[in-house]
Parts: sequence; C-alpha cells; structure tokens
Amino acid sequence: MERVYLDNCITSKPDPEVIAAMMPYFTEKYYFPANFVSTGSSIQADLDDFKHIIAGSMGAKVSEVHFTSGGTSANNIGIKGYLMANSNKGTHIICSVIDYPDILTNAAFFENSGFDVTYLNADYDGFVDLDELKAAIRPDTIMMMTTFANHVMGTIQPIKEMRKILDDSGHNIALFVDAAHAYGRIDIDVNEYGIDLMSVSAHKIHGPQGVGALYVKNGIQLVATKHGINRLDSLDTGGISIAAIAGFAKAVQLQFSDLQVHIAKIVALRERLYEGIKKNIPHILLNGPDGNKRIAHNLNVSFDYIEGEAILMMLDVNNITVATGSACASQGLKPNYILMATGRNFVQSHGSIKFTLSRFTTEEEIDYVIEKLTVIVQELRSRSPLFNKNK
Amino acid sequence: MQYSQKVLDHFMKPHNIGTMENLSVTATEGSPACGDQVTFYLKINDDSHVIEDISFQSYGCASNIATASIVTDLVKGKTIEEAKDISWKDATNELDGLPPVKMHCSVLAVDTLRLAIKKYELEKGLKEPEPFSKEVIIEELRSIIYPQAGEDIITLKMVKYVRLDDDGTVVIDLDIPKFDQNRESVVDEVKEHLEKYPEVKDIQVTLA
Repeated sequence: MERVYLDNCITSKPDPEVIAAMMPYFTEKYYFPANFVSTGSSIQADLDDFKHIIAGSMGAKVSEVHFTSGGTSANNIGIKGYLMANSNKGTHIICSVIDYPDILTNAAFFENSGFDVTYLNADYDGFVDLDELKAAIRPDTIMMMTTFANHVMGTIQPIKEMRKILDDSGHNIALFVDAAHAYGRIDIDVNEYGIDLMSVSAHKIHGPQGVGALYVKNGIQLVATKHGINRLDSLDTGGISIAAIAGFAKAVQLQFSDLQVHIAKIVALRERLYEGIKKNIPHILLNGPDGNKRIAHNLNVSFDYIEGEAILMMLDVNNITVATGSACASQGLKPNYILMATGRNFVQSHGSIKFTLSRFTTEEEIDYVIEKLTVIVQELRSRSPLFNKNK
Repeated sequence: MQYSQKVLDHFMKPHNIGTMENLSVTATEGSPACGDQVTFYLKINDDSHVIEDISFQSYGCASNIATASIVTDLVKGKTIEEAKDISWKDATNELDGLPPVKMHCSVLAVDTLRLAIKKYELEKGLKEPEPFSKEVIIEELRSIIYPQAGEDIITLKMVKYVRLDDDGTVVIDLDIPKFDQNRESVVDEVKEHLEKYPEVKDIQVTLA
C-alpha cells in the first residue's frame, strides 16, 4: 500500500489540476497586475476571475474578498485590523478556550495591550457554552472570535445561534470566524450565517500552500496592519503569489463542484473508519460529537491504556500518516489543550489519534488503516502496564 | 529530528518485553499523567548479584519503549554494581542518539533500573536507607532534562540554589531563559520529582 495520508487537517495534497492551473503563472504569465500595460492588465483580468470564484464559494461580493498569503495572515489582518480600527468603541473581546491558536495568540496579544478578553468554556463535545456567551457580553464588547469547525475534535460551532445572541444584546459586536477547517466541507454562506469577517486557506482543500483569503463584510472597518506597497491587495500588501491564487481558485472549483456529493462521500468513509474501529478495538472514546454536528473529514478517537505517539509511529512504519494529541508528540511536552479543556483525562489525551480524510481517500485505504490499527493497538496494549492492571 | 533506525527497531520489536514469574524485584517510574511510565522486572542471583533476567512493560512513546528495551539488553548478565554504572547517555548512545526533546525517556529508563536495584539492596540488607539530604535532592534534579538542550538541569547549571529546611521545606532557584515556552513545565517537573519523597513537606521554586 502506498502512503495513506490521513492528516489533511494540517495540509492536503494539491490536486494535479491545481498544479496545472498554476504552471502558466510560473512560466509565461509571471507579471503583477498593472493598468495600461498589456502584460499587467491581462493578469488583472485573471485575478478578477479568481476572486469571483472565491467570492461565489462563500456567498460574498467580490469587493468583500481579500487575498492573503495564507490563513494565518488572514486571521492576523482581520483580527488586528478590526480591533485597532474599533478600539474607540470598546476594548472587550470574546473567544473560547478551544479556539485555533491564531485566535488565542491574537487574543493574548490584545490582552497584553490593554484589552479585556473573556475565554468561554466548551462542553465535552467541544461546543462553546452559549449561556456563558450571553453572560459575557458587555457594553464595551466589540468582537467575538470563533473557530467554525474545531481543528482537533471536528465540532461545528452553532454560528447562527452565536450571531443571534450577539444581535439580541443590542450592542454592535462583530463576529470573526476562522473557517479554515470548515471551508469546502460544509456549505457556508456568509450572509446566511451573519459573519462579519472570515478567514479561509487554500492548502486545506487541495490547493497550494501560502495563500488564503479574508472575507470582510462591506461596511466593516479595518485599519491596515501590514504596511507596504499595494501590489494586489491593500490589506495584505506586497507580492502574493499569483500562481498560488490561480491554484486556490482551481482548488475551490474542484472542491465546490458537487459539494454535497463530496461531503456525503467523505462522511461515509469516516463512518466506515469509525465503525471498523468500534467493531475491532475495545476501550475507545470518540472525541467530539457524533453525526452531522461534526465536520465531515474529522475523526478523533482515544485509545485507552496506550500512548498516541507510539500509535502514530507504528502507523507511520506501516505507511499511514495521522496526528495525535499526546504530549510526547509535541515540542512543549504538553497534552492537547482542547482535549484537556473539554474534560478528557491525561491518558485519554495522550492516547488520542486524529484522522482527517480527503477527497482522495479511498475505501481500500480506510480498510487498510482499520486492519493495521487493530494489530497496533493490540500490540501496544500487550506492552502496557496500565492495560494489564485494568483488563 | 527523526528517530534513528535503531530506535525504530527496538520500538517495533522490543527485547525482553512482558511481565516475569519468580522475580527478585520490580520497580515503576513515571506516571500516566506525564504520558510515560516504565516497569522493570528483575531476577537477581542472591549469591553473585548477577542480573540473570530482566523484562519490562511500558506505557509511553516510541523512544520510551526503545530506551527501556536497550536498557534490558545492557543490563542482562551484569552484576548490580556494573548495572548501576550504566548512564542514560550510555543507553542513548547505544540507540545512535535520540532527539533532544526525547532524552528524558532515556533518563526515565535508567532511573527505573536504579530504583529497582536500590529496592533489592534495601530488601536484602546490602545497603542502609540513605538519609534524605540536599545531596539527594540534587541527585534527583539530575533526572530532569531540559527539552531544548537534551541535557539535565544540573549539568546545564540552571539550578542556582538548593536548600533543605528542617521542617521539610525545599527551596530551589532556577535560571531558565525568559523566552522559553518550557519554563513552567520544568518547574512542574521539579515539583513532581520531589513530591515523591515523604520527607518533603513544601517545595518553593523561584524562576530567575
């Protein structure tokens, strides 16, 4: 079996059609957009096409989409830009303890700069506590930040309910959503969800690395936080790879054509994997919600009595790539903060494995993973003093 | 940094894995909370003090399993005096090295072995129980590896001051780079290592 890659949450394999769409921008059309000169204006026309594709995929207007050099750039430009532009209206912001690191590190930065931050808790399945949200809102609250689909447990946050709570408060609170893990895996219409700012990334949906987009609802004020020459975009200044943008647009076309069929196929594969694990392996725990409240491509399971890095390494030897929430696989030697914050104990966090599937995942691959995983868990449990004591 | 082929070999096919019947002594170090735990089982000849057989069980990562496995290879057939001389660096070298962030696995394996030998010596009356002292504390701190460097905090001169008061209070000053994300986890580890001594009633760690 060739390598089975089930770590698509980190990054995903570029589609060959994406690579093909990028190539002309390396070889022939290597210009930046500019008025009047034919080389530059042809690029501008291409960029307009690409922007229409991205805007269309999220129900946005073309003027509301900004290309950025990746999801983290989009998060920084959106969060910092909004908070700095609106700090005269208030300096209180809200996020949750299980948000993506981009949100948490930005929140910490503003906390150190004089803002107040309320960190909402989440329940066992990773849903942000909406009662806490209601209680947290103050007259000086100017923004709530959330992660559309949790990158560890796959939990899809109730964005519409959040929006309603913000609106019902009577205060003018912007909703910032990091949608990198949800984009292309559920249908997102920014107007339907009432999102003010949203970040997405190309390489999570088989596009190239190093490009993303920030949606900024018309009327939302941002200050520029990345200063420099305005080549493509006034927010993410300087050069952004046009080849990467071309690849991004192609990836979106491929991912969003038949989105529902594509989601159904991935969900079926994920359920096949989960059913296989449940059938073959005792003493497991599903992390995150079951069914359709979970993002299509994510399955996160803890295996009791054994440690995740050992499972990960044995799967790696068998040509399978996954991720783990174990402390031993992290540079900081700490178990995953999301699993710990949602009520798992140390052993459950250390023993967690995250499988993230993609459009390229096949039934044969899933069956191979189930087969290998069954043997590996059995082998590691036979070595574990915890299993002997508890079985 | 990647694991060496030797680490992977010992991880995939560990030597001397499992429990043991008719053993002389067993010892466990580490904890499920930290994500690594090792148990050694030893059969020691009471006359010659040769370790005739050794096996282990492990809850931990690949390098935890591999280091315990290599320690069993190094120890088998040696006297307990010879076995005590095996250092975590010996075990690491035998495995063609470990990533710095994984050095603590090697320390854990060797510490567990030494604990087993100490238990055996005390049981057989080969040794008097050691009174708790500042020296014992410093020896214990030698087991704490600074993950960035893969060296222990005593060797790295990160421990600036150690005091043991009569009431069981331990006072320690540490000097760890301010920008380091591991500062707090080193403090946690110091506390964890000292809490297991019943003589210790309070631990005060100050970061410089």
